[in-house]
Amino acid sequence: MKQRLLQLSALAKLSVLELYRRKDLVVVFLLAMVILLPLSFLSPFGVSGASRYVSELALLLIWLFSIMIGLGVSARLFPPEFESRTIYPLLAKPVGRGTVLLGKYLGALAASVSALVVFYLAYALLVGVRQGEWFAPILFQAVLLHVGFLMILTALTLLGSLVMTPSAALTLCALTVIGMLAFGQRLPSLADAQTGPGRWILCAMHWLAPHAEFFDLRQRVVHAWPCVEGSVCLAVLLYAVCYAGLCLALAGWAFRRKRL
Amino acid sequence: MDTVVIQNVSKCFGRTQAVKNLSLSVRPGEILGFLGTNGAGKTTTIKMMLGLLAPDAGSIHVLGGDPRDASARSRTGYMPETATFYPYLNLHELLFFYGGLCGMSRLAIRARARVLIERMGLGEAAGRLLRTYSKGMLQRAGIIQAVLHDPDLLILDEPLTGLDPLVRIQFRDFIRELREQGKTIFFSSHELTEAELICDRVAILKQGELVVCGEMQAIAGDGGQNLERIFLNVLGADAEKGVPA
Repeated sequence: MKQRLLQLSALAKLSVLELYRRKDLVVVFLLAMVILLPLSFLSPFGVSGASRYVSELALLLIWLFSIMIGLGVSARLFPPEFESRTIYPLLAKPVGRGTVLLGKYLGALAASVSALVVFYLAYALLVGVRQGEWFAPILFQAVLLHVGFLMILTALTLLGSLVMTPSAALTLCALTVIGMLAFGQRLPSLADAQTGPGRWILCAMHWLAPHAEFFDLRQRVVHAWPCVEGSVCLAVLLYAVCYAGLCLALAGWAFRRKRL
Repeated sequence: MDTVVIQNVSKCFGRTQAVKNLSLSVRPGEILGFLGTNGAGKTTTIKMMLGLLAPDAGSIHVLGGDPRDASARSRTGYMPETATFYPYLNLHELLFFYGGLCGMSRLAIRARARVLIERMGLGEAAGRLLRTYSKGMLQRAGIIQAVLHDPDLLILDEPLTGLDPLVRIQFRDFIRELREQGKTIFFSSHELTEAELICDRVAILKQGELVVCGEMQAIAGDGGQNLERIFLNVLGADAEKGVPA
């Protein structure tokens, strides 16, 4: 057990180190900061008190950048290992494929979450400077659920990268999560309005696709609404754990079947 | 007991028969040269010995166990044909990573890495990212990671390909040193001169089949043929023209 934990930690650390040394991650990170920080001093429509617009824009950017980072990080965990053949010396060590998969997943999640935390810190700074309100409880809940969303996103993209090309995995996963963020809540009503195959397709999407909208607390944060009930928050996180677990189980199956 | 026992192993990829009914054993403390042309099935055999591929037929035992078991792999070191490692790590980080996977403590990794890095002449470059390394330096990093956890069996897949003469000599000396320490070495190559210089026994593979296996002197016979001549003879006359028969 201790050795398994050491192996997981070594694998996760490797992923984090590699990802932070890649310039593209740093570029996205800097870009986000360059856009977020000046927003602290922006006066939309010439109205200095219209802070909600700024907050909404900042949170939208945080979501977009976190999706970009989560996708970019997890889609490139395994394909370079196969391309450069580093997978052979890696699997020649006394480490199971399941451990390799889990370790890399945890590394990708840690890298994405660390970037997310910095984004939200910048956001908290922005809100603090503009509105004098520092670290509202709803913000903590928003971060927590956002982490839940990243758990699903990284697991889904990891699965995609093992069964298709990295670019295909990136595109499909980006379309899925952004589509679900935008339309996930309306899928049942859209399905009801359809007949024939369209209805079945929308129903299948409703049951199979990850409900990213469950994790989106942007409106609550922007309008300073009260926190979501603890039990609801826990249920949503449990959904994230189950969905990510299912994706990882499928990824493990695909990885075991992959011809080396 | 033999370190590696391969019995009637076959492996197909679609319609291509990569390895045909291969039986071979590697004795403790010897260097076995595993020779063959490109596509002869050497790397496929190695992958099966490492538990990365399962044979379609037959069995493989490494250090008395199934190669897919972690216990066998914890006593096996492997140096891949193309030693490409994580380009965004430096050598120290790479060794801490691999050592961690082998269950070594940080202290043990540090002590062993220091000795090996100095031995292979990478002391000054150890802090540099691996993407800045030359091929020879990467090969040396490759052998360091393979022996880091002090394995009993070392599997080297084409370790000398593309190396300059100085690094070749360094590698050859190091491999001999490992044999003197009692390590068993499985040396896959098509570098016949090198194999002749360091191997105790050789096994020659032709289109997935074992055609010759024995001690260098016994194979050379009374005529004292060199390995290149033996190799050409067993692969057929066409091989002399560069075309495997």
